[in-house]
Amino acid sequence: MPDGVGIELAEQFSSARQQKETGELGMWVFLLTELMLFSTLFVSALILRMLHPGAVTAAALHLKMWIGGLNTAVLITSSFFMSLAIELSRAGRTSPMRLCMVVTAGLGVLFLCLKGYEYYRDYAEHMTPFFAWRPYGLLGDPASRLFVDLYYVITSLHAVHLTIGIGLVMTMQHLARAPGFLSRHANRIAITGLYWHFIDLIWIIVYPTLYVLNR
Amino acid sequence: MSGRSVLSMLLKPALVWIALMALLGAISAIGALVPRGHWWVAELACAGAMVAIVVLFSMEMWRHAPIVRLFSVLGFFWVAILFGLTMVDYATRSIAPQ
Repeated sequence: MPDGVGIELAEQFSSARQQKETGELGMWVFLLTELMLFSTLFVSALILRMLHPGAVTAAALHLKMWIGGLNTAVLITSSFFMSLAIELSRAGRTSPMRLCMVVTAGLGVLFLCLKGYEYYRDYAEHMTPFFAWRPYGLLGDPASRLFVDLYYVITSLHAVHLTIGIGLVMTMQHLARAPGFLSRHANRIAITGLYWHFIDLIWIIVYPTLYVLNR
Repeated sequence: MSGRSVLSMLLKPALVWIALMALLGAISAIGALVPRGHWWVAELACAGAMVAIVVLFSMEMWRHAPIVRLFSVLGFFWVAILFGLTMVDYATRSIAPQ
């Protein structure tokens, strides 16, 4: 490692390398449980498509594919800045690293704003079957309710994870203000990056599964 | 401080960004221009390639210790088993007419 970059050894570890690998393993195990969670939802979407192709297509045509695609590009770009932040952390360059993390979180906020606008458009088009007091737009197609409900479950669950990710990235860049942060906790940036890239990965699956394949 | 140039630090994230954006463009173009037929195979292939790029390069699976690589590969393998068994059931089940 270059000067000013390192890991402060905790007493339960025998080496900095063991500590780094343990942190990465812990995050990967957590992310794999998250993958299992989202996978059940993706399987449900594909099964719905097989059982009710007409209803799913009718509902999917109401989704705003351009917003979904734009949001995918936003998240891919945020992952670019997160990767750059990790590279900068390994070089011990704190200030540009923090800037990249702020941009990463900012793009996450942009994603949420676009998602909020999409929900607003869905609401305006009466694509909210879970509101008993509001008429549903595809009333003659009951099976489409299942797909629309699943769309909200998947995208809102992803939004919750993204919000946690924004908080995590901002907290980490705030902590990195302390002098010598990278000389003691350099591995934390890469571990935070793992979580952020995973959120990106989940959306990369969400976009074709919900927006594109069912058209 | 490291002697690494900004250009060398930018290289890998930039290449990953270009590859992911190109694949996103392909998925979106196929979905918008030819939404019917068997093009879903190409869409899924592009999505699979994007996932592989994120896992291998953004999440740096190749840089991790062998035990971490083992866990991550087994995790995706387990998900593939769950997907495979479930979809085989539905794909081969005959549904009686109502």
